[in-house]
Amino acid sequence: MHRLANPRRFRRLADRVWPWTLAAMLLLLPVGLVWALVVAPPDYQQGDAARIMYVHVPAAWLATFVYAVIVVSAVVALVWRHPLAEVAGRAAAPIGAAFTFVALVTGAIWGKPMWGTWWVWDARLTSVLILFFLYLGYIALHDAFDDPQRGGRAAAILALVGAVDLPIIKFSVEWWNTLHQPASVLRLDGPTIAPEMLWPLLVMVAVFKLYFVTVWLLAIQTRLAERRIHTLWARRSAVEARPAAGSPSPAPASPAG
Amino acid sequence: MIRALLAVALRDLRIAVRRPAETLVGAVFFALALSLFPLGVGASPDVLTRIGAGVIWVLALFAVLLSLERMFQGDFEDGSLELLVLSPEPLELLVLGKCLAHWLTSGLLLVLVSPLLAVLMALPAEALWVLPVALVLGTPTLTLIGAIGAALMLGSRRGTATMALLVLPLYIPVLVFGVSAVDGYLLGLGGGTQLLVLGAMLMVALALAPFATAAALRLAFA
Amino acid sequence: MRFRKRQRLLIVGLALLLLAGASALVLAALGDSVAFFVTPSEIAAGEAEPGRRLRIGGLVAEGSLSRLPDGTVRFRVTDTREEVTVTYRGLLPDLFREGQGVVVTGTLRPDGTFAADEVLAKHDERYMPKEVADALEEAGYWEGAPRGEKR
Repeated sequence: MHRLANPRRFRRLADRVWPWTLAAMLLLLPVGLVWALVVAPPDYQQGDAARIMYVHVPAAWLATFVYAVIVVSAVVALVWRHPLAEVAGRAAAPIGAAFTFVALVTGAIWGKPMWGTWWVWDARLTSVLILFFLYLGYIALHDAFDDPQRGGRAAAILALVGAVDLPIIKFSVEWWNTLHQPASVLRLDGPTIAPEMLWPLLVMVAVFKLYFVTVWLLAIQTRLAERRIHTLWARRSAVEARPAAGSPSPAPASPAG
Repeated sequence: MIRALLAVALRDLRIAVRRPAETLVGAVFFALALSLFPLGVGASPDVLTRIGAGVIWVLALFAVLLSLERMFQGDFEDGSLELLVLSPEPLELLVLGKCLAHWLTSGLLLVLVSPLLAVLMALPAEALWVLPVALVLGTPTLTLIGAIGAALMLGSRRGTATMALLVLPLYIPVLVFGVSAVDGYLLGLGGGTQLLVLGAMLMVALALAPFATAAALRLAFA
Repeated sequence: MRFRKRQRLLIVGLALLLLAGASALVLAALGDSVAFFVTPSEIAAGEAEPGRRLRIGGLVAEGSLSRLPDGTVRFRVTDTREEVTVTYRGLLPDLFREGQGVVVTGTLRPDGTFAADEVLAKHDERYMPKEVADALEEAGYWEGAPRGEKR
């Protein structure tokens, strides 16, 4: 953990990891898609329309998973003050927001023919919508300050406060009479989904997770590079500001450089 | 400890009393915006009865949201907030004092005018006591959660719109249970459960929000 | 310094006390759940008065579905103890069928029937191919089997 905090070391490690996750994703994606959309049997009640769950469920899981990643980054950022953790949280947020959006949209597309409505304000749908807004608020707060470090810490506090939404999302279908069905896969008495449909679903979940890891690592690297450029610029203008500098210029606080 | 909390609250109250225009603007906004609804959707009593509780709660959310900015911003600019942060007293309690003063000058005013507004919105007689009770349980939670947002936004280059983005999603549970408590009583279904949940949310906010707000304030001076 | 530590301990203790109180309140509230809909039994118990908009949730009773010539659909919603007769005009969702869960929105008429203006089908958490469902039904243990079927 502490060794990873060094951005240079992190970049070396990330460079070694992301090509593999990308390759694994590209390998699994056609397998999962064909299995889910062609091979897997249609549902006994919903017919082929049930196939949208092979996108909806992985997207929804990723939406909550990414928020959990941000919460963990926030704890690390606040407790150990690792700049890398701030960057990691901010880099994950747009991905999480995008997949929350995908989950909401695919749910609506499925809901119209099956439930008879695009949207209902039941607890599950509302709590996921709140999650989407939490992502947007996190991003907005992070970028609302001139000092990236200040923004990172403030957004981390917000992320921790918003973490109460995660258990609400998970258990909303059990606590309240929702229109959304209860959990099919992650339940105490075993999945209620037939194995020949569960396996392609799990492959798709793996594809989505691999995609997230790949894009996340790349996004962190981009942000680290941005911060580095920022620091170098600041240092250069500091040097230029004192023409007859006998002593080395004091490096401005460089959070990630 | 309690003395420090009360001292902070008293100071904020004194400031509020000496600037009545600034303090009352939230309650005035509340009443004014509410009077737009009968004009906008038509004054037929059954329409107003159906949307009344929801409209009053939504406007209460906005009124509290609008008053959040004055919670820390003035003290931040004149430096007194830094003294609070540096003081040996636990910052969480001082924050609680500021929240207390803020609620007395925002939420409590809404509670006091709410029976009047219930009449304006053609709500049945039960609303005259249900609505204030629900607001008493709900508005302190709005203040406590809003304090986190107000503290986080200190020193940023964005304004109220960003604050709304941070705070409103966290207000949604209060809104949902607040409205369903009032509507429950009005529909004769009973809303005791929702009032219990509102109380539980208030206790959770009391327990956790001061820590988050204090952390955000320390960050502003780090 | 020690004094401040004790203060912090006191504050954290107070916070934990508040959280405990909150859990107690929630547990008390769990007794009757905050529902997206009411059940036919609650209607039979007279908990809803006619003329108000409300939602009823339950199963479509077997053999209760009939289509009237003017396009109105009539069916009964049951929670296995009580039933409510529902009438509805409009498109039914794909998942609507007898034995399935539905949530209907509308108003209760004075005669005890329910005039729905929206019918939503509730899906259960079971996903399976048609053949499996048929086989299960043939074997005669439809209710418990899919749920207990552990992989």
